[in-house]
Formats: sequence, C-alpha cells, structure tokens
Amino acid sequence: MSTMTQYTCEEAFRRLDDYLDRELAPEEMHLVREHLQGCEMCAHEFSFEEQVLQEVRTKLSRIEMPPDLRSRLLQLLDEERNSAGGAP
Amino acid sequence: MSANMDHLTAGPPAAEATFQELLTPLLGSAYGAALHMTRNREDAEDVVQETMLRAFRSFATYQPGTHFKAWFFRILTNCCISRHRSRRDEVTMSELEDGPQLYLYRKGRELSVLPDGPDPALSTLGRLEAEQVASALQALPDEFRVVATLYFVEDLRYQDIAAALDLPIGTVRSRLHRARRILQVKLWQVAEDNGLVRGRSHREKANP
Repeated sequence: MSTMTQYTCEEAFRRLDDYLDRELAPEEMHLVREHLQGCEMCAHEFSFEEQVLQEVRTKLSRIEMPPDLRSRLLQLLDEERNSAGGAP
Repeated sequence: MSANMDHLTAGPPAAEATFQELLTPLLGSAYGAALHMTRNREDAEDVVQETMLRAFRSFATYQPGTHFKAWFFRILTNCCISRHRSRRDEVTMSELEDGPQLYLYRKGRELSVLPDGPDPALSTLGRLEAEQVASALQALPDEFRVVATLYFVEDLRYQDIAAALDLPIGTVRSRLHRARRILQVKLWQVAEDNGLVRGRSHREKANP
C-alpha cells in the first residue's frame, strides 16, 4: 500500500464506471476514493453519475408484470409438473 | 421432450419445490427484463413462460448453491435472442449517437442553474415516468440493451452478466459502459420529446 501514488483527475475519471459498480481492485477503489476526498469537482461528477444510475434503476424496477401473469405461470408450472409425473 | 423431462420423474419432489421457491421471487424482474429485451408485452409474457418451462425441464443441470439468478437469466436471454434472431434490429449502429461521459451532467450545465438549487438534469430525470425511462432503454440496439437490462433490472455484477451471456467480462464491461453513455443521450431525447426540457421537440416534430 505504501507504494501507491495518488490518482490525477484523469486517472480517477477513467475509472468512473468501474468505481461506481465496485468492479475495481481494492487498491484502485482506495485510490479513487482518496482522490474524491480531495477533489470537489470530481466528487460532484461521480455523485451525479451515481444518482443517474440509481434513478434509472429505481424507475425501471417500477415496471410491473400483468396482475394475472404470476398465477397463470404458476398454474402452468403445476400442469407441467403433473404431466411429467412428478408430485402434484 | 420426454428425454428432457426424464429427470423430473426420477428427481425427489423436494427438488421441484426448490425450483418454485427459487423461481417465484424472480418472476417480476424476469418480466421486466423480457419486456426491455423484446420491447413488446406479449412477447415478454411468452418469453417468461418459455424460460420458466425450459428452466424447469433442465433444472437437473442446475448446480445447487450456484447463482440461480444468473443461470435463470442465461436461459431467458437465450429465449429472447432466439425469438428475435430472425428479426432485424431496427436500430443500426450508424444511427447511434454515442454521447460523451457525463452527457446528462453537461446538458444540465447548459440550462440555467441556481447556485444552491437542485441539479436541472437530475430534476428532469426525476420527472420522467418509468415507461419513459423504459422507452429510452428499449431504444438501445440489442447488444447494448441486453447487457444494460441485466445490469439495471437484475442488478447483476459484470461476471454474472458475462456468465449469463457467455461473453468475456471485458466485452460486458465495454458494452455496459457504452450502453450507459448512449442511454443518457436517449434519456435526454425522451425528456425533450415530452417537453420536459426545451430542445428539438415541438417545432421539429411538427415540421420534420
């Protein structure tokens, strides 16, 4: 850890997506986090991107399946199980 | 068909109950993912049904203790791909507007910003309906839409998406990163088209 040097804005920004997805190696996560603690502009941009991702994820999770689809599928599964000779 | 189902008669009932236990919590998001991948509600229902039956029939090949969700969504993705293989993707790569990183951030800066007010781009995004966000996702070409769907809707990690799609993790990473940039452009276009921000919307739509 003592050999790590600080990231520049460019080096941190290049890791924006992977950092937000926690897909970086631990030492890279640390270096980006350290950069963000000392760079208000980058911290603002990273925070913005994180909020965009969260907003999209939240909105997309509100898409609901048709109300009767779940029961139809489970009934079909029952029929499939019975036709295969399994337990009713 | 019968060969595929041999294991069901041989398998213990408990294994089948486990399938349903594993399946049930995934049905809602499976429908959402299928809808984004097929862009059509009827197709999405068919895909979920087909996926469920295929998964049930091949449940003997599932390794207990491994990531059921990734296994299930691999089948779902294959169902979507096979259904759409014969259909041409209406969005060509040349039509894609691949925005820079922080596209929405930059668009927000172009609008007037009050010093301590809410970020205009985030406010705009917040005012979009779920269906409008879905339409932006569904405007992505197949290779980006599928990866982005597994990421946003299923919340899968890169390695699980790679396993589900049988792709190298580097390919997943690059497609996902690019999908996000294109998605931001699409989201802004949707906001413009719906009059949430001033842009190319009304006049151009009236006089194309």
